[in-house]
Amino acid sequence: MSTATNDHVSDHSHGHDDSDGEVHAHVNSPLFMISIFAVLIVLTVVTVAVSYVDLGPANTFVAIFIATMKASLVATFFMHLKGDKPIHSIIFIGAFVFLAIFLGLSNDDLATRGAVDADNGAHRLQRSGAVAPGGLQTPAAPASAEPAAAGEHH
Amino acid sequence: MATEVAIAPSHNEEPHLNVNYLKAEKGVWSWLTTLDHKRIGVMYLCSVTLAFFLGGMFALLIRLELLTPGRTIMGAATYNRVFTLHGAIMVFLFIIPSIPAALGNFVLPIMLGAKDVAFPRLNLMSLYIYVIGAVFCLFSIVSGAVDTGWTFYTPYSTTSSSSVVSMTLGVFILGFSSILTGLNFIVTIHKLRAPGMHWRRLPLFVWGMYATSVIQVLATPVLAITLALLAAERLLGLGIFDASLGGDPVLFQHFFWFYSHPAVYIMIVPGMAIVSELFATFSRRAIFGYFAIAMSSLGLALLGFLVWGHHMFTSGQSEFATMVFSGLTMLVAIPSGVKVFNWTATLYKGSIWLATPMLYALSFLVLFTIGGLTGLFLGTLSVDIHLHDTYFVVAHFHYVMMGGTVMAFVGGLLYWWPKITGKLYNEPAAKVSWAFVFVGFNAVFIAQFIMGSRGMPRRYYDYVPEFRPYHAFSTYGSWVLAVGFFILAGVLVQSLLRGAKAPPNPWGSAGFEWNTASPPVFSNFIDTPTITRGPYDYHEATEEELFDGFPEDFKKTES
Amino acid sequence: MSSATTTEAPKAAESGHGSGHHHPFLAHHFDNPVHQFDSAKLGMWIFIATEILMFGGLFVAYGIFRGQEPEMFHQAHERLDKIMGAVNTVVLLFSSLTAALAVRQSQVGDRKGTTRWLVITLICACIFLVVKFFEYQHKFHDGLLPGHYFTAHLAQHAHHGHTLPYRAHMFFALYFMMTGLHGVHVLLGMGVLSWVLKKNLAGDFSKQYFTPVEIGALYWHLVDLVWIYLFPLLYLVG
Repeated sequence: MSTATNDHVSDHSHGHDDSDGEVHAHVNSPLFMISIFAVLIVLTVVTVAVSYVDLGPANTFVAIFIATMKASLVATFFMHLKGDKPIHSIIFIGAFVFLAIFLGLSNDDLATRGAVDADNGAHRLQRSGAVAPGGLQTPAAPASAEPAAAGEHH
Repeated sequence: MATEVAIAPSHNEEPHLNVNYLKAEKGVWSWLTTLDHKRIGVMYLCSVTLAFFLGGMFALLIRLELLTPGRTIMGAATYNRVFTLHGAIMVFLFIIPSIPAALGNFVLPIMLGAKDVAFPRLNLMSLYIYVIGAVFCLFSIVSGAVDTGWTFYTPYSTTSSSSVVSMTLGVFILGFSSILTGLNFIVTIHKLRAPGMHWRRLPLFVWGMYATSVIQVLATPVLAITLALLAAERLLGLGIFDASLGGDPVLFQHFFWFYSHPAVYIMIVPGMAIVSELFATFSRRAIFGYFAIAMSSLGLALLGFLVWGHHMFTSGQSEFATMVFSGLTMLVAIPSGVKVFNWTATLYKGSIWLATPMLYALSFLVLFTIGGLTGLFLGTLSVDIHLHDTYFVVAHFHYVMMGGTVMAFVGGLLYWWPKITGKLYNEPAAKVSWAFVFVGFNAVFIAQFIMGSRGMPRRYYDYVPEFRPYHAFSTYGSWVLAVGFFILAGVLVQSLLRGAKAPPNPWGSAGFEWNTASPPVFSNFIDTPTITRGPYDYHEATEEELFDGFPEDFKKTES
Repeated sequence: MSSATTTEAPKAAESGHGSGHHHPFLAHHFDNPVHQFDSAKLGMWIFIATEILMFGGLFVAYGIFRGQEPEMFHQAHERLDKIMGAVNTVVLLFSSLTAALAVRQSQVGDRKGTTRWLVITLICACIFLVVKFFEYQHKFHDGLLPGHYFTAHLAQHAHHGHTLPYRAHMFFALYFMMTGLHGVHVLLGMGVLSWVLKKNLAGDFSKQYFTPVEIGALYWHLVDLVWIYLFPLLYLVG
């Protein structure tokens, strides 16, 4: 399989293959990498600082958001996804897509798990007492006037 | 590339590279340390055949016990262990590695025109990991076996006194063997295609392997972590799956099926991949809807990750989730249907040659269709409430796993047998074995469809007398099936010992793997082939040319 | 296709395809160094996807149980030491930088520089494990253990006069599984980097061939990535 002599179609004929078949790495300057590290440290300080302030549910959101920024920096620059073959980024992001499917469809059960309400036979969410989707309709119970499962979806 | 070229003595400085791979190096040690994908494939083939034999023995024991109500040959506790071992061995030791690791390892690099898989050492490592995992599973069998069912559901598995930990450890290790094979194949398909092998020229077997590998790589790690949690649950009382400690046993089912439903596609997609080759070869026609079949493999791989909750309709999963999963499950019918209709269209007006591999492929088409359609019954929420955990489910997945994958595996084994061993097998005797297998299989499982729909629950040791005729019929069928497989084993042994020498292309196939010698030389090809046509271009050659080599391939060689 | 194609030995004795170069590291089924390098890297990225899904299982369990009992998780997480966690975060981020610098030096063919940065990376890994050891020791002492071993709900383990509810053992079950699996990956990563270091000291690498450095560093960055998520989820927001 000689890349130089034919209509080669394997993926390795693209990218930083300068047709001589030798490895030509894309070299970053140390200063650039150190500045990425500095940004990572700043983000770490920020996320620790924010954790001392009570923002309610927003705390979690901020923490995950900052963690994702840090992870993106590491993947993009330290792991050289930038300037690398797109397939590597596709695989990396794809893994998170499948993880989201895993979490999403598991949570789809766990967050809507109902319990039979002995009084009226309706299915109710254990945590909030709201009517669970898919359950029997509540016959106008005064205590649960809110629409089905409002606010219980994440 | 004609064989004559391959066999001719050449200018090669390393003569053993031009010798057939079975003779290139001598001695047991050369096999145990080989990095050659063909030898690793053959060793995998022997391992999975042993596992199939062992799992088959357990199946016969189950059927024998169920011949009569009450005790026939074993007690209830033993029965629990026997059906668990049948399931666990067949799933983890046989069917998951069967087609990819054994046949795929042998054929895939040759189809691509490559000398080996991308990471030969990793390939050998995956074989040894498989063996180590198998040893743990066997250890579990001799140290009290497992009685939880192959699914290891909590709280059975956390409270059972049987040796669950060594079995889960074994399956955990087997998972890594599967991951490494998948990883290796993906990189091989991306990076080691011969010049001219465009994505649209990839044989459908390779497309199927690609889809399978994606599932192996993405789903298997979740099984690993699930089993690690289960082991921790048993050893430390972790509580994550234990309701009395605030955990959730149904969460185990989510974790388990997030792997094991995609794993169903690890099992069936390679079978589909094989029959796609068989239908084209034995109909002498370009496969109908090449691109649709290729994409439907990937579609199945993706959809496989979205439907696991349909195993849990009666588990206490929320009604909302069951509706979502039931709806998503129906989507699986689309890529499955695309395949079945395209295969049928391939047969239409084809010049059909009913060689034994083709008989197995046709069996696949019929049995998989039955298995697939009954799957739709089970995916339908209201029907499933009645059929869940009955013999209907058992019959359904055996029609898919055995009627589908095992039929395809045997078909593929016979198809590539001359390539792997260099020997022809006795075709009439093989046809007889096929007849026994086909009739026996249907006898076993049609009876189970009927009794399942009438409410016979699965995994039960005892049953009411009304079910006795069905159980007895099913057991008689299992004996016919066993006879079929023993004849098949005899045919293969006879071929190894006294089979006639196989020509390079005994089926006159247009597939690229037949361009090598039978058996292939150590480095697969003397010169790296340049691919100038598709794998199903039957219209470009006469019947004689199919057997002797494509004129186009000759032109390349001469120039 | 010249006859050169057929002269390759399986043990990677030589290759070249007319380029005139001899690459002792090049396996017989690859065309040239860049082909081999790209294949190895693709394989590593697929492996990283596998690892993400493996840790993913624990993150899913975390998400689900936290969704069920956010209050309990919040109470339990306050028993973790934010400062120690933050120190370990900085140590791992720094080790990621040094691993990246090791790759950079091997790209330009600086063997000594590669050695230096690899050693620093390994030292960081050790520091991480030492800090982790003290954290674990503290948890053991306070009865903050998973499952049956959990005793922090008892009076003798009261913290500022408060005891944790018994169900907080779930948080520590997840804490130990997540950090434990991560710790195993740190150890594996140290093994990989030590092997790379050994090969580097033996002079196996060059501008043309630094694949193991690159692959080992990718693995190390993965260890860092997992920690980047573990730290806020366990230590900061609970």
